[in-house]
Amino acid sequence: MIKNKKILVALLAITLMILLAACGGDDSVESIDNNDDQSSEESSEDTGESEETAGEQILKIANDQEPAGLDPHITPAHSSVRVYSKVYSTLVGFDENMEITPDLAEEWDWTDDTTLVFQLREGATFHNGDDVTAEDVVYSFERILDEETGSHIASYFSSVDSIEATDTHKVAFNLSEPDATLLTNFTNSSAAIVNQSVVEENGDLQQVAVGTGPFKFEEWVPDNSVTLVKNEDYFVDGQPALDQVEYYTMVDEAARLSSIRTGEIDMTTVTAQSAELLEAEDGINIMEYQTLEYSYAGFDMNHEILSDEKVRQALSMATNRESIVDIVWDGQAVVSGPIAPSMGDWSIDVTQHELYSNDLDQARDLLEDAGYPEGFEIEITTASTYDDMIDTAQILQQQWAEIGVNATISQVEWGEYLDIWTNTSADILIGRNGSGSDPDRAMNYFFNSEGSANVWGYADETYDEIVYEGKTTIDENERNEIYTEAQNYLLEQSPNLFFVSPSNYVAVRNTVENYTPYPHNAEDIDETSKK
Amino acid sequence: MYSYIIRRLLMIIPVLFGVSIVIFFTLRVIPGDVAQTILGTSATEESLSALRGRFGLDLPVHEQYFLWISGVLGGDFGVSMRTGAEILPEILSRFAITFELTLMAAIISWIVAIPLGIIAGINRNSKTDFSVRIISLFGVSIPNFALATILILILSLVFNYSPPVGYVGFFEEPLRNLQILFLPAFVLGTAMAGAVMRMTRSSILEVLRQDFIRTVRAKGVKERIVIFNHAFKNAMIPILTIIGMQVGVLLGGTVIIEQIFSLPGLGQMVLTGINQRDFTVVQGAILFIAFVFVLINLLVDLLYAYLDPRITYK
Amino acid sequence: MTEFIQKLKEDKVGLAGLIGIVIVVVLALLAPVITPYSPDQMHTEHVMEAPSSQFLFGTDDFGRDIFSRIVHGAQVSLQVGLIAVGIGATLGLIFGLLAGFYQGKTDQIIMRVMDVFFAFPDILLALTIIAVLGPSLTNTMIAIGIVFTPVFTRLIRSAVLTVKENEYILNAKAVGVSNIKIILKHITPNVMAPFIVQITLALSGAILTEAALSFLGLGVQPPNPSWGVMLNESRAYMEIAPWLTVFPVVAIILTIFCFNLLGDSLRDLLDPKLRQ
Repeated sequence: MIKNKKILVALLAITLMILLAACGGDDSVESIDNNDDQSSEESSEDTGESEETAGEQILKIANDQEPAGLDPHITPAHSSVRVYSKVYSTLVGFDENMEITPDLAEEWDWTDDTTLVFQLREGATFHNGDDVTAEDVVYSFERILDEETGSHIASYFSSVDSIEATDTHKVAFNLSEPDATLLTNFTNSSAAIVNQSVVEENGDLQQVAVGTGPFKFEEWVPDNSVTLVKNEDYFVDGQPALDQVEYYTMVDEAARLSSIRTGEIDMTTVTAQSAELLEAEDGINIMEYQTLEYSYAGFDMNHEILSDEKVRQALSMATNRESIVDIVWDGQAVVSGPIAPSMGDWSIDVTQHELYSNDLDQARDLLEDAGYPEGFEIEITTASTYDDMIDTAQILQQQWAEIGVNATISQVEWGEYLDIWTNTSADILIGRNGSGSDPDRAMNYFFNSEGSANVWGYADETYDEIVYEGKTTIDENERNEIYTEAQNYLLEQSPNLFFVSPSNYVAVRNTVENYTPYPHNAEDIDETSKK
Repeated sequence: MYSYIIRRLLMIIPVLFGVSIVIFFTLRVIPGDVAQTILGTSATEESLSALRGRFGLDLPVHEQYFLWISGVLGGDFGVSMRTGAEILPEILSRFAITFELTLMAAIISWIVAIPLGIIAGINRNSKTDFSVRIISLFGVSIPNFALATILILILSLVFNYSPPVGYVGFFEEPLRNLQILFLPAFVLGTAMAGAVMRMTRSSILEVLRQDFIRTVRAKGVKERIVIFNHAFKNAMIPILTIIGMQVGVLLGGTVIIEQIFSLPGLGQMVLTGINQRDFTVVQGAILFIAFVFVLINLLVDLLYAYLDPRITYK
Repeated sequence: MTEFIQKLKEDKVGLAGLIGIVIVVVLALLAPVITPYSPDQMHTEHVMEAPSSQFLFGTDDFGRDIFSRIVHGAQVSLQVGLIAVGIGATLGLIFGLLAGFYQGKTDQIIMRVMDVFFAFPDILLALTIIAVLGPSLTNTMIAIGIVFTPVFTRLIRSAVLTVKENEYILNAKAVGVSNIKIILKHITPNVMAPFIVQITLALSGAILTEAALSFLGLGVQPPNPSWGVMLNESRAYMEIAPWLTVFPVVAIILTIFCFNLLGDSLRDLLDPKLRQ
């Protein structure tokens, strides 16, 4: 008996030792790294690479989602954009104030209301050595506009009638009508200039990436990592500063959190809660930026009850958006209308709007006027993939119960969610929209009766006219007024309820320098370097 | 014996056909398709139908099945609808990861569970027995994902340790590979250890009761020799069986652990595939997993038959 | 039977398991009476508070009382376990009896279909079924039930095969007792022992599977407080508010623990080979 106890103790001890040896061993490696604070060396040490690579600048970024493919023209997923936007260039870009800046195009000019001419940079080359010419631009945009391609940004360029290479480095876009949004649309990462021969060789660009951007595509290991290396011939002098960028897919927040703490990775996005935890820690900086996104509840406008404007207004009033900010986003969000506040002057101040007043009595009156004094039963559909959407649904369920609206929650997984979204087969759908870089996106694309993302069945002639005017008016002040009117009009009609625009957080090891996230470009690492 | 093996091998064929039919048609019933998940909320009718046409989703379902299965029979699993990557090579490279993870988990659990099981068995109803049983039950009772999260949290906070990021194969960098896999294997192994321990214990109990052990004991052979030479050897048969079964079950049960520890294994492939409605990937991977699973079950049966002379086969 | 109860009384471990299960069941049944709050009620001014006299187990990120949710969660988790296992066990019993008793073609067809389902890994099969049916409490139970069916079928079938060769059954057949009567009166009672053992073990499996599905966002739907859902929701706050994690984990562990204790004892008691 005693003997057996000894064996038991010994076995337990061995198990513990194995565990501790595993942790302890790595712990010591880690502390050496922490002493000299050189994570780039750490990676060479860990991977056992030879001495010559020791000075390399390697940035390791962890993301919560796997890229969905690399073809910029057909893959809108953010997890893909962050990769291909480093490999490809667009004609023009944004600076930190969202002013248009040159990229592949040096200059641009409206020769008349319907003709936009770009003068391309000379000497820019693709990663395979080919020169970038006007023909490449023509090819890229014809590919986007070709129905066979199924490009998600084809609608951005619907006003384009024809594209002409007028010179080796000059390209003209002829429009069918004036389009105030066009130039901004060229900044979209998906409007990338691609290489015709590469497309033809591979069928599409989902697995290969040959662009003109600061980084060259090296390797994609599915569900694991994407590696990009420095493009030595990048047309902007001195960029990029890094030699290599490694994107790791780490779906689990807990895993990302622990890896940034131990310095296994240099950078990752985290939730507001995690950001709070990391803020206190040495060696990690937390960067915050306001996103261009807002959360919403979309109504099926053909639904028997929800088609009544008063019902929708009542629900808007019954919603306490502040508590969505506090509970879902841990206080790190701002109340938003159809255009997120980070769009600056374009967005109106919604906080004083009557429908945002959370006046329950008035909400009940509205319901009574609509003929539902006792309230009604309804189903809220939300995506299981996103905690914030589930949480928002649960809060709405609670708040709406106050005015007698009894909601049940149906949580569906992402593929089915998109199916429901496309077919508007839910009464009420919780979601998040990006308001894009031009108000036209937020207003026209999502709510025009013909808008391709208007899945709600919202059709209002007056509204259509207002946003059409906005799209075709070139003068900025006039446009601003038009969109103010449009937003107020839309709020009144409430085909969607707009809730809040969250902040995003990036946790960065303090060895990383020259990195600042912006709402429109949170992951610009062209100038980023490591200590 | 040989005719038995051949018969069992032949029986695999209808089973796999059944699996292929079930999974193929089930996937087609799931709401949503890959075109929608690719385009997300940027979808337009035109772009959706263009993509559907490209993936052959506009064909009648039975034609799609026929195209797929004839490809598979010729060794061509097709390409991922979502990423355009060849499926079979990816299945194989991911299988290597899942298999290694499973094997490590199994080994960890054996090291802990078999000795404990033996000790508990020979001291039935003693305090040792109870404590071992209780420990083993804890292993079985805690949800994998909770244990994994707790361990990740504690290791990073207390020991400033997290497994290295970015998977590398065992043959590229063995040490790093083992470091990456140790923690996930440990979590998986915990649940497995409980089951193996219980099986070991009850096998030992059963063997100890058998006549020949009594005879050996009666001859005055030392207790330790009785246990290790006679009892343990005979108890190994059922233990081996459960080990084989466990490896089979684990192959599919690694989904959650793979996701938490960011391991690009087969489970992850299926999960991502289902979420993205990447039908070709899901049906290929499931068919492959079923194939391996059926094969392992067959091996276990054969091993059992080989080790235990009492079993006859028709 | 009396002998069985007598034995169970002597087996302290099994008895402890049984008592534990009874306690959990009683708590679940009395949930509305003993909980201070509704499980969905949000106390927005008491978000993520540590355990106190007002909130025995603390509150979660919505300010919901965790104690109330745990007790109501017992209802949900037990319900999932019982109904899911009920589905699997019933189907398994029917198919197993048919396959084992009639053998031949019936046996072949049933067992080949079972082989097909058995060849799917558990979680992946459940996942696929739920993807088809849509996630909900009912569909979770159906999916887990289907996943468990092949195991029960195999078990019952092999038990039937052993029982069938017994003389009294051969005699019954010889004197012309109808097949249905033989199955119901003579065979079914004799395969109950392994069946019951398997049920207790499957119950714990079902609760764990539900938790796993909740982790993947496909289990019971919020705000319904199954332990799996609670545990999954708590993961983000494990560091700030560990009580969000601790209580569901303990609830799951203890319950499964009791089921396993009982299952083990039943196995020892009912297994004729161990009866000495």
